[in-house]
Amino acid sequence: MSSLLLYTIVLIGAVGLYFFIRPGSFQLRTAAGLVGLGAIAYLGVLIAREVGGVDQDSPILYGIFGLIAIYGAGQMVSNRKPVQAALHFILVVIASAALFILMQAEFMAFALVIVYAGAILITYMFVLMLADQVHRDGDDPDDDRRPREPATAVVVGFIMLAVLCDALYGRDHASLRLPPESAALAQQRQWMSLAVLDRSLERAVADVAPGYREVVRRDGLPLMRVDGGTASVLIVDADGVEREVKLDPREMPGNTTQLGLSLVAGFPASLELAGVILTMAMFGAVVLARRQLELGEEQRREVMGLPRTTAEAPENQPARGGST
Amino acid sequence: MTAVTGVVPMDPWALNIALLVSATLFAIGLVGFLARRNMILMFLCTELMFQAAALAFVAFGRMHLDVSGQVFVIFILTVAAAEAALALGLVVLLFRKRETLSAEAWSELREQPSA
Repeated sequence: MSSLLLYTIVLIGAVGLYFFIRPGSFQLRTAAGLVGLGAIAYLGVLIAREVGGVDQDSPILYGIFGLIAIYGAGQMVSNRKPVQAALHFILVVIASAALFILMQAEFMAFALVIVYAGAILITYMFVLMLADQVHRDGDDPDDDRRPREPATAVVVGFIMLAVLCDALYGRDHASLRLPPESAALAQQRQWMSLAVLDRSLERAVADVAPGYREVVRRDGLPLMRVDGGTASVLIVDADGVEREVKLDPREMPGNTTQLGLSLVAGFPASLELAGVILTMAMFGAVVLARRQLELGEEQRREVMGLPRTTAEAPENQPARGGST
Repeated sequence: MTAVTGVVPMDPWALNIALLVSATLFAIGLVGFLARRNMILMFLCTELMFQAAALAFVAFGRMHLDVSGQVFVIFILTVAAAEAALALGLVVLLFRKRETLSAEAWSELREQPSA
């Protein structure tokens, strides 16, 4: 795609966003929002058509949820009422959770809804409601409602989006296509994660070969053969005979299993660090939220268990000079 | 009973659409961070940018048929939760001092002259 076309479309979107976040009549804002959404949608259609190969999933779902997310984001940066802006962020979260499901990230989709929409957003809503602004006489009551320098902000956003789009779509798309054998490799990897999940492997084998003695292992790993959607394991069955059993395809580790395995086995140090970050954030929040008392020098020494300065002073200073 | 969905490589157009949505959300979050006056909503806009990054992570992870992208979303959630706790603590602290949520009230970084 030529850069000029790309920049033009992004520019139209940016102009739409500019008139959308500025205070104005309802009709103007609606029209501007539609123009901005339309520009992004047109860009998406152009890109999809250029890349081609729309056959497996349905593109309409990606389009719908993407547009819902963008609409929610636009409302979030422009809505006059802070609480409604926060509610529109929930719309963004739910729309991107839907996109996650389309991209087969089911666990993260639900975690996103629970943690983001359920926990983080509710905290934001609480603070929005707690910090209710009282408009004193001298204040401009519209202070919170006018955007601050919308033109500059939109220009910065436009440059950001143009650069991102140029980096993503200004090049050829051959690199985006994985080699065909990668799917088989991924399937093999998915089955192979059973090798380290002893409990799941035992359950899977017990389903097809009840009363088996043990799974044959070499170097601690079970002997497993993967062929497309099926996998077979070498076991010693109840009669003491070695044989190969085919596992039920339903025992293939799913998204959550793989995610957990990757998290714990692949990023153990990062996982611990995440825990440390959360703990420190909790301490930080406690320290910040505490009411700060203005203590004098004497009170502070008292709290720390030090003797009072006034009691020490006469002993130290004149005594030395006086004794000699 | 039901057929197990096999591992299918992602269509490049789907990756591109997801990345376009991600880039747009990021840009809108940036615009919002610069344009909103309400400090809480400014932080909410940074959450929007986190969201865009998470979308890109999942899309690239899906493209490479690897769950590591989703693992990074877990870390993004962690950082977002920590940020929410700290940022909201700070905002409440600032609100107590000036009785307003507007970031403009803090454009001059000095003590308010006591009346």
